[in-house]
This record gives sequence, C-alpha cells and structure tokens, in this order.
Amino acid sequence: MDTKYCASLTGILILIVIFFSVIFYVYPNEIYQESNLIPVPKLDVTLSSNEIKHGESFVLDIISTNNGDIADIQIVSISFPGQEDITEIVKIKNYDFTQSPHYVHIGDEIGAKYSGGKETVLAKYPSIEAYSRPVPSGTVNVISIQVYPQETGIFDVYVKSIGMPHFTDESHYPKDGILDHQSELVDVYSITVKP
Amino acid sequence: MILKPVISLRQIKLTLLSGFILTSSGILLVTVGGSWDITNHLLNKPETFFSPPHALLYIGVAIALVGTIISFFSWRMTINSDRRNFKSSIFISLLGLALLIGAGPFDFVWHSNFGLDGLLSPPHLTLISGMLLTAIGSLVGIFKFIKEKNNSKFNYLSVLATLPIWLSASGLFHSGSLPFSNTEFFNFNPDPIFAVLFASVAFPFLVSFCLLLGSIVTKYQFGILSVTGFLFLLISSFTAILPNSAIVFTLPFYFTSLIPIIAADFLLRFVVKHKQSVLFVGGILGASFLVIYYPLTAFTYNEILTKQTVWPSLIPQIYFQMITNVFLITLLPAIIMGIVGVFFAKRISFKILSN
Repeated sequence: MDTKYCASLTGILILIVIFFSVIFYVYPNEIYQESNLIPVPKLDVTLSSNEIKHGESFVLDIISTNNGDIADIQIVSISFPGQEDITEIVKIKNYDFTQSPHYVHIGDEIGAKYSGGKETVLAKYPSIEAYSRPVPSGTVNVISIQVYPQETGIFDVYVKSIGMPHFTDESHYPKDGILDHQSELVDVYSITVKP
Repeated sequence: MILKPVISLRQIKLTLLSGFILTSSGILLVTVGGSWDITNHLLNKPETFFSPPHALLYIGVAIALVGTIISFFSWRMTINSDRRNFKSSIFISLLGLALLIGAGPFDFVWHSNFGLDGLLSPPHLTLISGMLLTAIGSLVGIFKFIKEKNNSKFNYLSVLATLPIWLSASGLFHSGSLPFSNTEFFNFNPDPIFAVLFASVAFPFLVSFCLLLGSIVTKYQFGILSVTGFLFLLISSFTAILPNSAIVFTLPFYFTSLIPIIAADFLLRFVVKHKQSVLFVGGILGASFLVIYYPLTAFTYNEILTKQTVWPSLIPQIYFQMITNVFLITLLPAIIMGIVGVFFAKRISFKILSN
C-alpha cells in the first residue's frame, strides 16, 4: 500500500470535510448576524401654485433622497385620485431617475402594502411611477411634472416614496398620512382650480 | 533556380494556432460580457440594447470573427494531413460563428419589438449556442496543438480553451434554471422544480467536466486545473459579485472554493498510479458547485425553498438561510454527477486527441 498516497488522500478528505463544515454551517450563522439594509427615502415637494384658474396648469417638483442604506429600488409615486386618465393632463417635464417613469392606468396590477410585489391590487386611479435602481445612500433624484386640471374645484395629488427592500417603517415616506389604494401612506397636495 | 515558399509550414501552423487563440479569447470576452449583462439586468434593468456589457460582448464577437477567419484561411494553406486533422475544429467554429453573428441583429430586433427580454429568449439561445460551438471548435484545435507539440509551454493554452466553454455552458444552464425570463410579452421561466433538479445535476457535472478537460489533455499537469478554477472564480466575481456593492463582503467566502479546486488538482498527481483518485476528484469538485455558482443559485433554490423576493442586496441572507439544507439535499447527486463529469471529460478528450 502506498503510504504517501493514503496519507495525502486522508489529509485532503479531512480538509474538504472541514471546508464544507465551515462554508455551510459556520459561515451562514455569521451572515445571519448581519443586519438588513434599511433605505430611508425622503421627499421634498414643491407646488408652483396652490390655486390656479381653470385652463391654467401647475408644476409639481419632487426631490427624492435616500438618507439610509443602499436601496435596490427607490420608487416615487405621484397619483391622481378622482381622475380617469392622466395621459393628456399630466406631462413629465423632466426627470433624472435611472429608469423611465411610467404611467399606471386604472385596472393595472400594482404592488401593495410595501410588499415589493408579493401582494398586489388593481389600481383604482391613475399614477406616475418614477424609480432608480440601485440607489446608494445619499442619492438625490428629481422629477418635475406639469398638470392641466380639466375641471374646477379641488384637484388632489398623492405623493409617496418607497425604498426596497422594505423591512421597517423607515423605508417609506411619509411615515404618517392617509392610506392610498395600495394601502400605503401618502402626502396629499390640494390645488384649488377656480372658474 | 529553386523557388522557396513565401510562408513555411511552421508559420502556417502557428498562424492557425493564433487564429484558435484569438477565437477562444473572443468567446471568453463574449462570456464575460454575457455574465456581466445578467448582473446588469438584475441590478439596473437597462432599457436599451446599447449597454456596456453588450458592447463588451460584441467586441468579443468581432475578435472571435477575426480569429476564425485567420484559422480558416491558414487551415486552407496547410498540407493534407493537417487539413484532415483540423477540419472538424474549423467547421464547428464556422457554424458557431454564423450563429453568433446572426444573434446580434436577432437580439436587436427582439429588443425593439418586445422591449426588455429575459435571460432565456430565442436570440439569447442563438447567441449562447453560437458561443458554445465556436468555443468547442477552438478547443478542439488548441488541444490538437497541445498534443502535437508535447511541450509544457503550450499546456496553459488548455486553460484558455476550456474557460470559454465552461462559461458558455454555465450561461446555457443558468438559462434553464434561473427565473429571469418572465417578461411583458413572454414567460420563458423554467418550472421551479425542474429548475432545481436541473441545476443540482447539471452544474456539478459541468464543474468537474470542464476542470478535468483541460487537465487531462496536459496529462494532469499540476496547476492547470487550479488556474482554470481560479480564473473562473475571478471572472464570476468581477461580473456577478463586484457590480453589486451590497454583496461585495461575500468575496472571501466565494474564493474559499479554491480550497477544493486546489485539493482536487493535488489529488490528480496520483492518478497515474491510483486510478481511483479521479473518483475523489470528481466527487470533491461536484460537491463544490454550490459555492462556485454563488450568487446566482440563490435565485434557483429560493423558488421552491423560501419563496422570498430576492432583492439583489438580500442575496447573501437568502442564500445562507437555505444553503445548509440545499447542500445536504444535493450532496449525493452532486458527487455522482461530479464523477460522471470526470468520465465524460476523459472520454471526450480521448476522442478529440485520437481523431
């Protein structure tokens, strides 16, 4: 029997057993101790006017910031309760998000309850979603839209932002407010459209 | 007056070899671009065809094209015995290249009509098949040179010949197992159970097959298997781990898979006297596939084990949450498939070198 071979083989097999034990038992426990990343979105919203005459338009500027850990996605949603279709009355003036903003129409399937798409609902009113991916800490993005209300009265706009992955309340903005059709908190901006 | 030939036969053969080397290098770039493209889609969801990974990929295609043209014309200038010897290599490369070139416009038209495509799509399948065939053609040519030269200086060319095949086949197997192919127009995602079964047998086989292929042709020269494995890990870490800043801290974990690779290489030293050593080599390499194919396997096994949304930053948590169970479940098939891979590698190299 070749003793050199036997010794080498035994040594290697012991090394491999130790390797797999460390890799698949010890190391996973170390990883569990790593805390989850928590993105913290924040929005600064500016309205060009709170009151306009019928036939005029207003501009909504949003500055979106991630004040927390890196986010895989940070979404800014601007929705229009009470409207049927916004493709003609809301125009995107400019944006610098990494992805193209898109229009969500009534009846489209959208995520709900900050679940990242695990839970969905059908949109009850239209919206615009702008997002970047990934969003490192401190990233600032802007989007500006121009809105042409068609009727007189109060014109509401809902605004919110969500950072993914979402594990805590820190990862959405606002922290309080009213719930929208996605069961997520929104800030409400109201513009009076006078005759 | 005696007329001397303008180019000597030796020069023609060296030009032929240069063509094969260029072709393999080109396909290597294509595979690097392809792997980077998968990560880019995962992290950034590019909205246009014109992205840096696509640019790298098509530069690789151009290099492979030049390489194949050089080998084709130098092959035509060789003497009859060489012409017969390298015929299969040239024709496999040409077929692969035709698919590769066709895949470019096909991919562009697909993007234009159906927007963002998934990993598994007809143009991507055409591209990967082209990569694989071109790389196989080139490998056959390089292996024949290594045998002919019988010089250890040429042996490391087997690393260059093997890597593009390993990476192309990995791309093909990922297409059949990753849930990245559900798009607005088509859902080509594999069934999750099929995906798990497929990944559990295909990847262990591929690891040991590719690592042994290059080693066998150099008569198990120590270092060939280790260098091939190290370069594979290096390319994967550059294309799949480094672009995702949230998982960079797992790099040391990833590179620990060099331990079984070097151990297998060391064991190969005993193969001539102790043939059963190849069984251990195959088993060790097959069992290591879960680490070697980190992080993408997290997506495959998550589909049936934890069913979470795998955000790119959560890959380590999800991977390590299920890895102990996955390892225990896949250990036996992985060892068996690793051993099967070794025997396949021996058979294929024998066929290439005996023709």
